[in-house]
Amino acid sequence: MEAGGKGVLKMVEQREVKVRVKRFDTEKGNWWAEYKLVVDWYTPMTEVLRRIKVEIDPTLSYRAACHMGVCGSCSMKINGKPRLACKTRAIELLNQTGDEEIVVEPMDYFPTVKDLVVDMSDFYSRMFKVKPRLHPAREVMEGKAEHRLKPEDQRTLWKFGQCIWCGLCVSACPAIEDQDFLGPAAQAKGFRFLADPRDTLTEERAKLLIDSAWRCTYCYQCFEVCPRDIEPVEAVKKTRAMSSLYKGRSEVVRVGVRHSEAVAESIASTGKIMEALVYTKGYGASQAVKDMIFLLASGRGKYLLVKETSVKNIEEVKKIVGGAT
Amino acid sequence: MEKLSYDAVVVGGGLAGLMTAYVVASSGFKVAVISKVFPTRSHSAAAEGGIAAYIPGNSDPNDDPDYMTYDTVKGGDYLVDQDAAELLSQKSGEIVNLMERWGALFNRQPDGRVAVRYFGGQTYPRTRFVGDKTGMALLHTTFEQTSGLGVDFYNEWFALDLVKDGEAIRGVVAMEMKSMNPYLFQSRAVVLATGGMGMMYKHTTNSYINTGDGYAMALRVGASIKDPEFVQFHPTALYPSDILISEAARGEGGVLRNNKGERFMTKYAPHKLDLAPRDVVSRAIITEIREGRGFPGGYVHLDLTHLGENYIKERLSLAIEAAENFAGVNPINEPIPVRPAQHYYMGGVDVDTNGANPEMPGLFAAGEVACVSVHGANRLGSNSLLETLVFGRETGYTVVEFLKRTGERSSSVQEEAERIVKEAYQFVKSESGVHFGEIQETMREIMWDKVGVFRDEEGLKEAISKLRELRSGVSKMYVRDRSKVYNTEFFNALELRNMMDLAVVISRAALDRKESRGAHYRNDYPKRDDVNWLKHTLAYLRGENVEIAYKPVRITRWKPEERVY
Repeated sequence: MEAGGKGVLKMVEQREVKVRVKRFDTEKGNWWAEYKLVVDWYTPMTEVLRRIKVEIDPTLSYRAACHMGVCGSCSMKINGKPRLACKTRAIELLNQTGDEEIVVEPMDYFPTVKDLVVDMSDFYSRMFKVKPRLHPAREVMEGKAEHRLKPEDQRTLWKFGQCIWCGLCVSACPAIEDQDFLGPAAQAKGFRFLADPRDTLTEERAKLLIDSAWRCTYCYQCFEVCPRDIEPVEAVKKTRAMSSLYKGRSEVVRVGVRHSEAVAESIASTGKIMEALVYTKGYGASQAVKDMIFLLASGRGKYLLVKETSVKNIEEVKKIVGGAT
Repeated sequence: MEKLSYDAVVVGGGLAGLMTAYVVASSGFKVAVISKVFPTRSHSAAAEGGIAAYIPGNSDPNDDPDYMTYDTVKGGDYLVDQDAAELLSQKSGEIVNLMERWGALFNRQPDGRVAVRYFGGQTYPRTRFVGDKTGMALLHTTFEQTSGLGVDFYNEWFALDLVKDGEAIRGVVAMEMKSMNPYLFQSRAVVLATGGMGMMYKHTTNSYINTGDGYAMALRVGASIKDPEFVQFHPTALYPSDILISEAARGEGGVLRNNKGERFMTKYAPHKLDLAPRDVVSRAIITEIREGRGFPGGYVHLDLTHLGENYIKERLSLAIEAAENFAGVNPINEPIPVRPAQHYYMGGVDVDTNGANPEMPGLFAAGEVACVSVHGANRLGSNSLLETLVFGRETGYTVVEFLKRTGERSSSVQEEAERIVKEAYQFVKSESGVHFGEIQETMREIMWDKVGVFRDEEGLKEAISKLRELRSGVSKMYVRDRSKVYNTEFFNALELRNMMDLAVVISRAALDRKESRGAHYRNDYPKRDDVNWLKHTLAYLRGENVEIAYKPVRITRWKPEERVY
């Protein structure tokens, strides 16, 4: 083979890898299986699993379909990270770790059914909670009116519309145990319709999404693992911004809104986040006192003594903040 | 065995199945959708470039539905039933508008209307698209709407076989993959919407789940497969992983080049060049490679570098993603390595333009598994998404009418259902021996080598005898996994049985058709022969034997002429 040059693929070395797979069977429980096979630069993990099943051990169960990152079937944990197997090349993993071993496990959070197959019903029920479908105006369905959509609106919506229901974000989300939190995928899905100018359920959707939006921790794990580069946190942020438009706020929303306002106020007047002040305004004086007692009792009183002062060029900050609002 | 009762059962949760289910459920009938994967994992999601449509007021001013029909008929090398193609063109605008109203996020023109681009074989640009993830977008949209209707979804259920009483279809037996429990779904109508069969070929752009289940179920219940010899090979699958690089890449201006840097399509299709239909381009690429003008390993270049970074990123993002991740090349400044791979199956369960099988009351089919004869001998790009929705909907209408005039039957089919389950267990009952993987890989090689882009008598005869031998091995298959929960080895074995049943049919029909037409190319009969072969093949599987019959092509307004691009 020719040595490189534009568009000429380099002859790639073949390497033997050891794949450790966490197996599970309702009768036998958990165990680790080890497989050795030769891969090259191109071999994706779906092909590794397929070859294990076809050539070495047919008893291994996993899900996979499109092999190109659009169906969301092959979600699993590879070397500790939630990923789509089809979008992960074996050699790339070896180069990352410098190890000859690849560890494959089922996704976290979801109950395991068999081997790498998990029960996704929790994920699906979260998605269906946000009424994931457009409700167009009747005149449009009757052909009396026509939808138009600006190219830039299409681009914005499509950023959130690309979700493939793979569940990786949910498996990586630290806030997901909160049953009142819809989770990153559903939050993004819901927002995709909430923000669609063609939809007619705006108020109902907003009410469905706002409380949950305040339960996100802004950790960005969902974006980190999303194979389609969706930013659920972005959807959460934009949904939170709608909080003041609707009445009947829940406690979580009230605290959240007060907290945000306190942060903005604090920055505008002092140039930084005055933690004590923000905390008191966000959670109210009585809650703040209770939490202070708790801190003292748990021996972390020194944090209460940190003295905060305003930044020096506060006028500059005020200009920036003023310009932003 | 437990029994469930429905007015209609749809097998398959891709675009065609969902569309049919939507229509039938909207009329108030009780519908079940059985799918071996969660519906959004269906192969429809993998369709990239777009959906063709003539939209009045939003098409080229010179275009009209007749040009679209003509393009489809010529693209299909005149094996197209022209009434079917006319229906496809006439309903195309309506169906794209419906998808838009349902929320599909089509790319837009500056004035807010749905955008359009060229695809292979089109006289005027007609392809509507959502970046290069059109299938994914439409599948989600259709699933979203259907899931709001009260359709009962049986996701991750595996259909074993159709149940028949006399000549009438009475239901289907399916197994819940998690519990491995079989159920009899009794229904007056069964719609097959199980998609294609790409896993039969060593190189395919298809999903791992495309194992031809519906074709085999139809064959085993005694129905025919129409035009089984016509298998489409897509010219531009990424080398070496066979991930589809959309035809949109050439529609947007991408160019194929050999190892001398020559734009070789000038030789094979002087007018349409890189946008000639897929059969023409696939043969051109393989010819270049065979004659030593490919790159080492066996591929050619697809060059997009002149299109500009922003344009490529907006309209062909999946192509960039695939090329970067899986071939290590950046299409913005390097050509993409491509070669042909199996992509689509024109053949399928014989149905009329209304989706009904003409021989078995109660049997319907839609989408890739069906052969409405709208693609003939070669499908045009962006006609498959269109077919799933147009004919999925037509089939839905037909099922509704059928249900209105057909009463419940009282006779029991329980015994028949028991037999089906027993047979499924039977053929994997061995205590030792070969497992599915060993047979499957050999089958995939034979199909690729001997029943592929170029065919001849010697190769096909060899394929037939080898496939027959392999198929006899299937009944002695052995499933090592004893698990009673989500035992995928068992289902893979059933899928192999399905693929082997179809493999013997395809190879036999390919041997019989002594001409070259569309995607069926015979080195020993390189010319199209309208005198003897302007007719549809109908293939039946009777035990070991494939029986072949013929049926005329419906020609309305476009007389066969030489196919030059």
